[in-house]
Amino acid sequence: MRFVDHVRAGEWHTVLGYLLFVVLMTAGYYYNVTFVQLGLIDLGTRLVGMDHTAVSTWMAALALLTFLVAVVAGVTMDRRGWSTDLRTKLRLLFGVLVVQFVLTAAAPHIRTVPAFGAWIVTASAALGVGFPVSFSLAIDFVPVPDRGPVAAVITAATYFLANAVPVEWSIGAFSQLMVAAMAPGLVVLGIVAFELLSPVEDLVDDLATQYEAFGTGRFCHDVPVKTRSLGFVAPVVLMFGVFFIDSLGFLRIIETPALILTSWQSPEFSTRLAIAAVHVVGALMAGVLYVNFDRNGLFLWVFALFGFTYVLYTSDLRVASVFPALGRDAPSIVNPLFYSLTVSFYTTLNFALWPDLSTAETIGTHSAIGVGMAGWLATFSSTAVALYLDHAEVGLLTHLNLVNALALLLFLGLVVGIYVRRMAAAARRNEQPTEPPEEVSG
Amino acid sequence: MTPTEIIPLLLVVLLLLAGSGAEPETMEVVFEGDHTLGGNGSVDVGATTRGASSGSGSAGARAGSAGTSALVVGGGSVTVPADTNVTAPLFVVGGDLRIEGQVGDVRVLAGNLTLTDSAIVAGQLDVLGGQVSMADGALVARQSDVVGELQDQTPTRSPAGFLLQVGALALVGGLIARRNPALLANVGDSVTNHAAVSGVVGSIAGLALLVLFVYMAFTLVLLPLSVVGLAVEFGIVVYSYVVFGYLIGRQLPVERVDLASAAGAGLFVVGLELLGRVPLLGTFGQALLVAIGFGAVLITYFGLTEFEPAEIPG
Repeated sequence: MRFVDHVRAGEWHTVLGYLLFVVLMTAGYYYNVTFVQLGLIDLGTRLVGMDHTAVSTWMAALALLTFLVAVVAGVTMDRRGWSTDLRTKLRLLFGVLVVQFVLTAAAPHIRTVPAFGAWIVTASAALGVGFPVSFSLAIDFVPVPDRGPVAAVITAATYFLANAVPVEWSIGAFSQLMVAAMAPGLVVLGIVAFELLSPVEDLVDDLATQYEAFGTGRFCHDVPVKTRSLGFVAPVVLMFGVFFIDSLGFLRIIETPALILTSWQSPEFSTRLAIAAVHVVGALMAGVLYVNFDRNGLFLWVFALFGFTYVLYTSDLRVASVFPALGRDAPSIVNPLFYSLTVSFYTTLNFALWPDLSTAETIGTHSAIGVGMAGWLATFSSTAVALYLDHAEVGLLTHLNLVNALALLLFLGLVVGIYVRRMAAAARRNEQPTEPPEEVSG
Repeated sequence: MTPTEIIPLLLVVLLLLAGSGAEPETMEVVFEGDHTLGGNGSVDVGATTRGASSGSGSAGARAGSAGTSALVVGGGSVTVPADTNVTAPLFVVGGDLRIEGQVGDVRVLAGNLTLTDSAIVAGQLDVLGGQVSMADGALVARQSDVVGELQDQTPTRSPAGFLLQVGALALVGGLIARRNPALLANVGDSVTNHAAVSGVVGSIAGLALLVLFVYMAFTLVLLPLSVVGLAVEFGIVVYSYVVFGYLIGRQLPVERVDLASAAGAGLFVVGLELLGRVPLLGTFGQALLVAIGFGAVLITYFGLTEFEPAEIPG
């Protein structure tokens, strides 16, 4: 790892850059998976009094708005040169954090639908600006060879905290925790962003030039990946598929008390600790695979694991439907453990992939489209489909069966796609005229 | 017991049945309720009765019918009354089986087996797990405590069997090293230079394939493929042991690569056995070595090519 080299060389500004990036991304992602994804459901249903469908519709709106704002923000960053201006990015991020701090503190006091809607719109704007800015910090802080391991650490830390630290899944509990955590973060980021101390000024000076060395991503060294090329569109589509499948499945799992109360919301600390540990192991494994395999191999791993996880879930449900006596016991922990492993895999991939598909000139646009399409638009779409399935009164087994079918389909499609591409390459090689062998003259 | 917990045990039953030539399709499984085998002169699970008996099972839990090849007790309780003779094999993987009459073969993998004073096991009683309560008057023709035997079969207590394992692995290692040492060199290179990725691939692929083959077995149609798959997995583990042997052999002062590999393979098995005796960490160490070896075999396509990690510029 380059990190060790930097420590040995005493390049502390680079080391601090690593740490700052890990802390910022971990905090941002933790906020997203807990407060935004779980807290808002509680806020809408319990405090505002909306039904589950209405809250899901608002959540879908949040995802769509966030995506749109992100694309505008990302493109603007690249066009105006903010992507290579560390100071501007830090100040933008500080602004986002201030807005989110206020929103987080205000959330438990919302009681009406219009207020809830206004909260959603404001949060979308903050999130939409926040994630392309934070992802683009990778080119300032993380050397290319270390992006996989750093992504693994962020994923591991986020999911470990989210599962092992016992927090009630309510907006009040999330809000208190977030406000307490964000307050010191806000002060530190303010000092760094506005260079309020002279050592910080030197630090920012050093970090601000690192993009020249770290800016060109792993997949852009030979030829930069263009936004409208297959090299960028294909990963976007595949990651969209990954997030869509995950969200579609998880939306149903969290609505099924038998599945959620025995795993992610288990009163047993040992169960949640096991899930947290598997998340950590899965993320570290993904980090190892990221630096050893190419893009195709990484996506194959993720889809294979997803297909496998849902085969396990659906098989259990099938067995339980044939033999109801078996279904009465608590569901096995094996399935959520495999699920956690898979989620850690694709999350790690998501953190490392977009900076590696970008240069310093395209990081804003690519991370906005990549994360926006995969993370937010996929969530929007899967929520819409989940609502449709809910209205159609589709059963749990049928729902998860559909998710499983999608995962297996994507896995097969990817295998066939890679195979056909290699076959076409082989055919092209064969079509090239070969020089006739030289005649041996006597 | 959850589906995930009971499925591996049912797989063992399926494999045992398939191995004995019986038809797994006609196997019956009881998961709930109280049942009494036999009744009104009917033949249940190969049961013949001399008197009346009753079944109080709930719906969906018929404890046997004509043509059933075996009965598996996965939950609830099943009683073989004193006046009943059951010829079909009985398996206990959960729940309770109470035997008062005469039965053939009985295998206990989990759950509880009770043999009363009047019980007769005319066949073999195999205990692989679970609890067995046997009255003094119970008669058992042949009995094996497989768990106890396995525990007894440590190298020190059964040196002949262990030496046989060592010898077999050394022979395989020597043969492969003589015919194509490049295969072992390629896998060995991954073990030594790419241990992390080998371990990751080995642990995930090994575990996922194991579960996949277990689930395939339950389709029954794919049971033969499942058995082949499990055999291949076992073969990969053996192959990885040979590779470790090759790596150890290279450090030995033996010039001939086949002899060195054979000696190394033997040493590796002995070392692995000794490692297993270290409390807690020993088992973890064994699992880690198996995972690394398994992954190294896979990522080198069984040694046909050297593993080349992706190049990351910068």
